[in-house]
Amino acid sequence: MNHKASMSTRIRFCSLAVGLIAAASVARGDETCNSPYISNLIKGQEDFIHVWTLGEKGLGDGSDKLVTIDVNPASKGYGKVVGSVSVGGRGEAHHMGFTDDRKYLWAGDLDDSKIYVFDVGSNPSKPRLVRTITDLAAKSGFVGPHTFYALPGRVLIGNLSNSKDKGGVTGLVTYNNKGTFIAKYDIPTGLVAGVKGDGYGYDVAVNPAKNVLLTSSFTGWNNYMRSLGEVVKDPEAMKHFGATMVVWDLKSMKPTQVLSVPGAPLEIRWALAPGQNWAVTAAALTSKIWLIKQDAHGAWTAKDVATIGDPAKIPLPVDISISADAKGLWVNTFMDGLTHYFDLTDPEHPKETYQKKTGRQVNMVSQSWDGKRVYITSSLLSKWDKAGEDNEQVLRGYRWDGHELTAAFEVDFTKEKLGRPHHMKFTAKPAAQVALADPSR
Amino acid sequence: MLRAWLAAAAGVLWTCAVALAAVDPGAAVAPRMEFTPPRPGSYTLQKIQPVADAALLEPSGRSVRLSAVTTGKITLLTFFYTYCVDPLGCPFAYRTLIDIRNRVLRDAGLTGRVRFVSVSLDPSNDTPEAIGRYHDMISRDSGMEWDVLTARSVRDLLPVLDDFGQDVSVERAADGTPSRTVHHMLKMFLIDRAGVVREIYSLAFLQPVVMLNDIRTLYLEEQAGAARPAVRTARRSAH
Repeated sequence: MNHKASMSTRIRFCSLAVGLIAAASVARGDETCNSPYISNLIKGQEDFIHVWTLGEKGLGDGSDKLVTIDVNPASKGYGKVVGSVSVGGRGEAHHMGFTDDRKYLWAGDLDDSKIYVFDVGSNPSKPRLVRTITDLAAKSGFVGPHTFYALPGRVLIGNLSNSKDKGGVTGLVTYNNKGTFIAKYDIPTGLVAGVKGDGYGYDVAVNPAKNVLLTSSFTGWNNYMRSLGEVVKDPEAMKHFGATMVVWDLKSMKPTQVLSVPGAPLEIRWALAPGQNWAVTAAALTSKIWLIKQDAHGAWTAKDVATIGDPAKIPLPVDISISADAKGLWVNTFMDGLTHYFDLTDPEHPKETYQKKTGRQVNMVSQSWDGKRVYITSSLLSKWDKAGEDNEQVLRGYRWDGHELTAAFEVDFTKEKLGRPHHMKFTAKPAAQVALADPSR
Repeated sequence: MLRAWLAAAAGVLWTCAVALAAVDPGAAVAPRMEFTPPRPGSYTLQKIQPVADAALLEPSGRSVRLSAVTTGKITLLTFFYTYCVDPLGCPFAYRTLIDIRNRVLRDAGLTGRVRFVSVSLDPSNDTPEAIGRYHDMISRDSGMEWDVLTARSVRDLLPVLDDFGQDVSVERAADGTPSRTVHHMLKMFLIDRAGVVREIYSLAFLQPVVMLNDIRTLYLEEQAGAARPAVRTARRSAH
């Protein structure tokens, strides 16, 4: 798709109609793994990728930063870093998410629990830090803000830990778009419909047509801020990983079911096409793909449907990205540096049809709406990344023709003195619009 | 010259808009709803944000405080512009409001407790006179308070839009000049009697059944609040 055409698409997409279409029926693929409530999903060519990057002591200014890369092949700056906003400290930068108007990007630190709000709407090539939220622990008792998920006028945040014992029992919070805390919700530790919850949290994902919120579970600060090598050798520490997913009534924010999903289920991706009633996740420790599906009676079930690599070698699937038509799933396995493609045509029986080594360590994987471009980053957590030569820190862009990933560009974050690249989000240049207050009106 | 042309065009489009709104706003895709919503009063709506006050204009041209129409009753507020004809935009919102209004009117407990407020997001073209015609149309047989407001200027409106997080821009025509298409993400704001936003409905949430349940939930919350002192009094009396 050429850029001109994509801009036209984007203009249309900014309209009211697009808001309806986006909200009512889509939100798939990685661009579309965004909350279904955000506006302006990018169906054409993305212009920029923003990378929430962990600072590394002794490299550049050592601070966490939002790095912006030009990814439009038609641009002179294609594949180059065009902006970097340092937050002036290092707090374990991890994930981020847009507000519902896609004007602001909220980015969280897993260690110090700060939340940074960047304006990416005014000029996406030059994001600005406009707010820092520091009251998460004080207001909720939770720490480790992980997933930022847009709801109308507010942001739902899935957390990883708590301030009391830094274990994995945690919860969800909401803030309004102005950064004011609204409410907290504990992830259940007791029985819900006869199944005991473990209280752990990680990702959050909403299916608006079902009024369902799904949450997954990872581990607490005590583990994720400790060396991976130490954690895996400590039998007691290994007991403290999530083994559940929770089904919530979104309207009431009450848990309705706890599903047993052992092995730390991480990212959740819904298939939201009309008639679809399922989501997938990958369990990191057991290297399994799980299908979360509604049965004929309306109850939700979790089923292990595929194996990723050799679980005995703990390949550690760390991120997934579902295609726009929900027919394919990218999976990155951190330890062996492989990017896998699973055919999801039959979600009950996913089949791996392609794999490629994309790095010495690979973490996040994001694809464009049309599935033609795939991006990967390398860093998992500062204490879990590999050491020495294997600790490469890159963002790599690929073209995907349905059969082969072809390298398009690479940004070496160490060489550029930026840090460890983790989560990616796309933006596009603003469409040819006029401000309401423009004097030409 | 441009303003005169715009005014004329606005008149034509307004007529179309009213005709569409009054008869049939056109086919719109209602959001999918594949669930049974929780009962009114079985959940608590979040207190998202207080509504900031502002000075707006009534159809008469008189100034009115926004707080005067966002407190004292349960309020459903939305932004619109009179000449919007996008079938998935304002006309769709209008049809949803009519659906909710009919449901509210059938609920005796809600009589006199609910109002709608429509605020124009284009004060340059939606003058008090223009919104007055719109108000006459929608308030006909309305059976409930439905306030239609505009602003004295865009400058007066911008803080209101900013407070509600209502992003608005105007599409450029082929020649680069501003067109008549005003982009905004359609949202409705449910506000309690105290003037606090308790729910926001973007298009995925424009489900009249759920919205009515939310209104009833706020009503039951009011009733519980009003009953509380009486209960305390009764307990004191028992002692």
